[in-house]
Amino acid sequence: MKGFDYVKATTLEGACDFLVKNPATKLMVGGTDLLLRLKEKRIDPSFLLDLKGVPELKEISYDPRIGLSIGGAASLVDVIHHPLVKMHYSLLAEACHTVGSVQIRNRASVAGNICNASPLADSAPALLVYGAKIEIASAQGGRSVQIDKFFVGPGMTVLAFGEIVKKIILPPVPRKSFGVYLKHARRKAVDLSSVGVAVFGWQQDDKTFFRIALGAVAPTPIRALEAEKVLFDAVNFAEAVPLAAKAAREEARPIGDLRSSKEYRQEIVEVYVRRALDQVLEALS
Amino acid sequence: MQHKILLTINGEQYENFVSSERTLLDFLRDDLGITGSKKGCDEGECGACTVLVDGIAVDSCLMLAVEADGCELLTVEGLNKSELDPLQKAFIEHGAIQCGYCTPGMLLSAKALLLEKNDPTDDEIKEAIAGNLCRCTGYLSIIDAIRSVAKGGG
Repeated sequence: MKGFDYVKATTLEGACDFLVKNPATKLMVGGTDLLLRLKEKRIDPSFLLDLKGVPELKEISYDPRIGLSIGGAASLVDVIHHPLVKMHYSLLAEACHTVGSVQIRNRASVAGNICNASPLADSAPALLVYGAKIEIASAQGGRSVQIDKFFVGPGMTVLAFGEIVKKIILPPVPRKSFGVYLKHARRKAVDLSSVGVAVFGWQQDDKTFFRIALGAVAPTPIRALEAEKVLFDAVNFAEAVPLAAKAAREEARPIGDLRSSKEYRQEIVEVYVRRALDQVLEALS
Repeated sequence: MQHKILLTINGEQYENFVSSERTLLDFLRDDLGITGSKKGCDEGECGACTVLVDGIAVDSCLMLAVEADGCELLTVEGLNKSELDPLQKAFIEHGAIQCGYCTPGMLLSAKALLLEKNDPTDDEIKEAIAGNLCRCTGYLSIIDAIRSVAKGGG
């Protein structure tokens, strides 16, 4: 690694201004992916701007009306151990828990996980089923983007240069709800997902609703909208669950790579969507 | 660019200049000669470089030295200031060491776990050392060693 200067931001405004003046800057939080890319010489920035010194970006807070707010520099371990995350958004805690090792989770951030925009980012399916909103700051002001519009392709997001993920907001969850994240990898720990499946279900006015999201089976993490539609129209879940799982399989557009073949990923999507739906239905019953 | 950093390593204060690109691992090993932390994969997979930064386990190969400014570090050298740490004794008693290359990182991951929980379950022990690869012992003796210290109130 060489050729860059490390700069530590202490305010969000300062960070935004720095980006305007220094276009060849990469943002850094945990650095667990960034340092690898620097070592492999896949990127060559003039500056690394560390956001961990910005107090407001480290915050995780919950408001019953707004929901959960995760600062752009909050680490995975902060999210996993936060009592309100465990209580209201356990699926997110579970998904973050499947990332890397203790050492990685102590440093890596949720915002970094989605900004790197790997199709297999484990936090992404969880954020998709919770309907998260990404609040973005820049010197020009702010904007917010729904998570299902955030990912553009492998390694690509809607973020323009000069924009910083300020916070990730998860809306309040219905009182009777339950979510599951199932990760398929080659080994039990410290591995990248071959397939990630998140299912979130909730009950309202005697009807059960579902959101399903898939990781590692398309150029970006995706919602399985066809599978959700099968369940929305269903009168009998025992019959609809296998059909929804098949629909999810059809929606998945996986590639084959060193972790798994295309056909195996399709098979796993069907099995895991069915399994996750069964678990959610059981918990809600 | 050179940065002046002030940090505590194993109870001793250090004031040094480091370049932006220096990893914490290279700083420890090559600049300070504190070579207990090992360089295995240099990409956060093997955990041989694990150190505690303000009490939490991190891969020092994936952290810049400049980021450690103001922090308190513990490396394997700091475990046995006067006598061996209970974890080190237990690793010896349980035959949890063969080539020893993973041992410094393994000890520090175990230390971080015991600082957080004094009576972890086997699953918690396994999770704590999941980021530390050992190619000799098959892990069981390592888990036994950690469990014995936990049960002993280590």
